[in-house]
Amino acid sequence: MKVAYYSPLPPERSGIADYSALLLPALARRIEVAVARRGSRRAPRGADLALYHVGNDPEHHWWIVEALRKRPGVVVLHDFVLHHLVAGMTLGRNEGNGYLDAMQREAGAVGRMLAHGVIDGLLPPVWEHRAHEFPLTGEVLPFASGVIVHSRYAERRVREHGYAGPVWRIPHPAWPAPADLPAADLPSGRFVIGAFGHLNRAKRLPQLLEAFALVRERVPEALLLLVGPLAPGLEPELPEGAIHHGYVDEQRLWSLLAAADVSVSLRWPTMGETSGVVVRALSLGKPLVVSDVGWFADLPDELAVKVPVGGAEVEVLADTLAGLARDPARRQAMGTAAHALAEGEHELERVAEAYTAALEEAAGGEALRDAVTAEVAAAAAETGLRPGGEGLGEIAERLREVGGGR
Amino acid sequence: MRIAVCAPQVPFIRGGAEIVGDDLVEELRKRGHETELVTVPFKWYPGERVLTQAFLWRLLDLEEADGAPIDLVIATKFPSYAVRHSNKVVWLLHQFRQAYELDRTDLGQFDESPEQRAVRRGVHQLDRLSLGEAKKLFAISQNVADRLERSTGLVPEVLPPPPQELPYYCDKYGDFVLSVGRIDRAKRVELLLEALAADTSLRCVIAGEGPDRERLEQLARQRGLDGRARFTGRVSEEELADLYASCLAVYYAPVDEDFGLVPYEAFLAEKPVVTTTDAGGPLEVVRDHSTGLVVEPTATALAEACTWLAGHLDSAREWGRAGKLEAERLSWDHTIERLLV
Repeated sequence: MKVAYYSPLPPERSGIADYSALLLPALARRIEVAVARRGSRRAPRGADLALYHVGNDPEHHWWIVEALRKRPGVVVLHDFVLHHLVAGMTLGRNEGNGYLDAMQREAGAVGRMLAHGVIDGLLPPVWEHRAHEFPLTGEVLPFASGVIVHSRYAERRVREHGYAGPVWRIPHPAWPAPADLPAADLPSGRFVIGAFGHLNRAKRLPQLLEAFALVRERVPEALLLLVGPLAPGLEPELPEGAIHHGYVDEQRLWSLLAAADVSVSLRWPTMGETSGVVVRALSLGKPLVVSDVGWFADLPDELAVKVPVGGAEVEVLADTLAGLARDPARRQAMGTAAHALAEGEHELERVAEAYTAALEEAAGGEALRDAVTAEVAAAAAETGLRPGGEGLGEIAERLREVGGGR
Repeated sequence: MRIAVCAPQVPFIRGGAEIVGDDLVEELRKRGHETELVTVPFKWYPGERVLTQAFLWRLLDLEEADGAPIDLVIATKFPSYAVRHSNKVVWLLHQFRQAYELDRTDLGQFDESPEQRAVRRGVHQLDRLSLGEAKKLFAISQNVADRLERSTGLVPEVLPPPPQELPYYCDKYGDFVLSVGRIDRAKRVELLLEALAADTSLRCVIAGEGPDRERLEQLARQRGLDGRARFTGRVSEEELADLYASCLAVYYAPVDEDFGLVPYEAFLAEKPVVTTTDAGGPLEVVRDHSTGLVVEPTATALAEACTWLAGHLDSAREWGRAGKLEAERLSWDHTIERLLV
């Protein structure tokens, strides 16, 4: 079986590019994969099926969505919320009507009026603070013959959206932790709290800084390690004991992650995404502190403390971090569980096998359903069972269980 | 208790699975359970037929029969375990192996077309559903259990079936190696013939019937085995017991076999078993230089092993008797106790 594979790839700086770089070799050991060139208008020849990696960033994904609209296929939905993507592919090209129409499809007249307000500069851009309320996922799902998601959360959202096609939940593959990492060169004897990735309001940076100040009162040796570029306009005053590194390369990222005693990944609002940093932290066996939302809430309790968003978020976060600082045995147990998860359901070969299963089901599934249904329907008709009868109702239900029916 | 033992039936074919099914019914009846063997003919080709045939099982209603409830269903192998019942126990003989470890091998059945790949995945989905809903899950060997865990994540309890009751005895350690079982490619009788070709002192008797017999008989002629390999066809239970009683050793080396009753039968006749390192289930009971010999799957290695045994009858006797002790440990009392817990 041959699959046309659409995804950003390195050297593009994108989490999904890194994802595909990890997955592709393992997938290519199982099925024939033809990688589509970025921006290519022509689909790879002879493919039985196309696989589209769709994320929320228009810069990396516009051409993939355009290809999907020409030829439906299986969509890997890396983010459930696609507002940024749709805004970029409409407003970003001065196609205001496209945005108006998308918002109307999403939320009716209210959506259209809101979009008008944004276009006319009367309202702040929806994608800045309210994208999760208007995910615009409906701009992509109708073209998907099947959807692959990474979390129960995303699966639930896709179904709530009314998508009736097949949905496969396939965990994010884990990178193997590199051996022989260079030292991180951090001050010794400190309890290192790491936060990695783009630093912005959605990562709850203000709350993290506030909580860290409280932690320092109880754990003077605590050190907050912030790694990643700061969002434009965000110039926080770092409390004592906090250090910031901007963009770092992959190896440096691993070194700094390895030096952390606990990895913090907060989020709100969530776009329904998974976090490559969290997956790397699992590989390194790091205890996690995350927001109790989206994919993060799906993580097992044995390895991740989940902090509710809002309310007493800062206090709970501070208590959690101070508690972990004083409890190395718990950190050890959480780290062991994290590593086991990385080597279990996130293990690369297992993930590649799940992809292969999904793609094989998608490519031949319809023909199979038709064939099974036709044979059974013929037998049912010859037996005298007629559409609408009780007997056929049960047959249809049982048929679905063996891969037939619809 | 009213119990339905479910097993597919391949018309005109009888092998170890059929023996286990029949024995289970008989042993349950002996213990006072009203028991019936429920079978549906099974044909697994071409194309999607494997799923439409599984569908037949899925549609059966075994909750009651003639107004009286059926208390328990014990399903054995694919696709009989697709049957729905509120108290379903699966004693797994094997899954549909062509959809798993035999895929993309000479013994596989699905080609690379998207439709065929999807049929294979359909079998996987049905397994996850129908095995996952079982109240209890047993596998006849660690090999079958491991395959099940790898393919579905389900972890069954290992419960080997006791060997069929034959008038087993040991008369002598004669001059031939015995092969017993259905003659198809997977049983790898060919390797035994090649071993005979490699060592002209060896003789064998091949008991059983199957689709590969004609090819193997032709191979024996081509290799000039000149009567050293005798094909008996199907034999009666008494004839089989006599063959076990008088052979030197029993050869049993299918490719990655599920379990295999033959080693236990050999042991009950106090005969050692010669198998290969890739035989799968038999390796759980045939231990090298303890209850038999385990060799690389080559004609030369097999020939050397058989010749060695012919020159070391004391070892053959000692290992056969050690095997007998193991085989006698398996009992229907224990098996049924576990199945009905």
